[in-house]
Amino acid sequence: MELADVVEGGVIRVGAEAVVKEAYWRGVKLVMKHRLPKRYRSPYIDSRIRRSRTIHEARTIKTLSEKGVPVPLVIFLDLKNYAIYLQRILGQELRLSPNPLVYAARLGRAVGLMHKHDISHGDLTLSNILVDGSWGLWLVDFGLSMFNADLEEKAVDIHLLERSAGNSFPNVVGNFMTSFMEGYGEVVGEEFVHKVVDKVGEIRSRGRYVER
Amino acid sequence: MAKTYVLGIESTAHTFGVGIVSGEGEILANVRRIYKPSHGGIHPREASQFLASKAPEALAEAFKTAGIRPADIAAVAFAQGPGLGPCLRTGATVARSVALTLGKPLYPVNHGVAHIEIGKLLTGCSDPVVLYVAGGNTLITTLAEKRYRILGETLDIAAGNCLDAFGISAGIGPMPSPEEYARRGRELFDMPYRVKGMDVSFSGLLTAAENLLSQGKPLEDVCLSLTETVYSMLTEITERAMAMTGKDSALLVGGLARSMRLREMLETMCVDRGGKLYVVPEEFAGDNGAMIAWLGYLHYRCGRPVDVSESYVKPRMRIDEVEVCWS
Repeated sequence: MELADVVEGGVIRVGAEAVVKEAYWRGVKLVMKHRLPKRYRSPYIDSRIRRSRTIHEARTIKTLSEKGVPVPLVIFLDLKNYAIYLQRILGQELRLSPNPLVYAARLGRAVGLMHKHDISHGDLTLSNILVDGSWGLWLVDFGLSMFNADLEEKAVDIHLLERSAGNSFPNVVGNFMTSFMEGYGEVVGEEFVHKVVDKVGEIRSRGRYVER
Repeated sequence: MAKTYVLGIESTAHTFGVGIVSGEGEILANVRRIYKPSHGGIHPREASQFLASKAPEALAEAFKTAGIRPADIAAVAFAQGPGLGPCLRTGATVARSVALTLGKPLYPVNHGVAHIEIGKLLTGCSDPVVLYVAGGNTLITTLAEKRYRILGETLDIAAGNCLDAFGISAGIGPMPSPEEYARRGRELFDMPYRVKGMDVSFSGLLTAAENLLSQGKPLEDVCLSLTETVYSMLTEITERAMAMTGKDSALLVGGLARSMRLREMLETMCVDRGGKLYVVPEEFAGDNGAMIAWLGYLHYRCGRPVDVSESYVKPRMRIDEVEVCWS
């Protein structure tokens, strides 16, 4: 089994349901996303949930790669251990980039392509967008993604992105989103841009996400 | 200095509650009259008629228990929402009459915020993530910049509603019956488990449980599958909220806070994260007047009473409409 040759490295990120670690496979740099057991759930429910989410995430990433959306490649799926092994992206979170504006239009095209195939990300914050300093950009962490996403779910992606950008670089968020929407519109078309922008406004006015 | 007493009236659904609290946080009276439908769920008109019929005796009993005269109170509070319209109007009418008769200021307050604030008062926790679960409400929230921000909530029916409705249609009655049957369950069936970020959905789960029962599966096993799934989902969103906000304590409030199994799961989750769980005491988990009185006192401290002519009920009121002026 190829997995026998995988060596685990340091922890990259710890989330509420998974830990992301560095891994190496025959000299190839990988990351391992491992969904941890939850002691509070009955083991039967726990393993069923972890299994279905691991499969769902791998399937989403694989679909997106095939459609040309920039995501890390899935290398292995280890269902026995509820782990996905992915290509390691040598970059940093967009949140930490000194020049986020140069990525905005490219990000818009990537998200547009994802939405055009009716997939929503579900947690599109700047922590889940990686950039490499030479125009490379990837979307990561599809744990909350959805197939058959509707207008609402796509609008939530854009809303979360804007809020996250506003938190990370409040001074340029306006330009960032303008440039993002230009890239997004190139892929999804002007008509859909209007619909999604209206929906974002509606979500915001519902109060739930309102910062009053 | 004389103590400040506030009278609170709760009537959002099946409970007519009258509470009297002091500004020091003492609960002097917490009288309850609960409408129990002979069959099925709550009928809003019948419930409101029951509540109205119990109002005079509940009020009298509250003052008697508290050992104070009506004129000793500083303010009157009532739950203005969310809740069933006819029931809300009954409580509001009683509160307005008392306030006008005594010439005291009137404070309409939010029922959900009252559940949270009584939990904070009685457990002493300061800055938790709050899981508010009851028959009519399910949400996860935390205080940020003077609002209880809704981090996640049910997209359809409340968790308590899901369990109550199942119990009623299975012929064993609402909670705690389903949980009691679950204790004798042995087998877990596959159930829909719908967590979207910090939101949850329970309606598919209710349908699935009813289907399993009609296929002849043992009631105890269906109850076990249903309660385990509901509580796992609630615990998961609580953990997500704690991870997202970086807070290390959780507070459980609302009628479902009486569930031992839910408490146990939340406790395990908090221990595993190195956090701490606080649970509202049982007497104040379900709807009660004391929580309305206490929130009334907090509003009273900020000033800004509401004129009787403006004291509307709001059946669909959300907790994030309230400016938390006392924080």
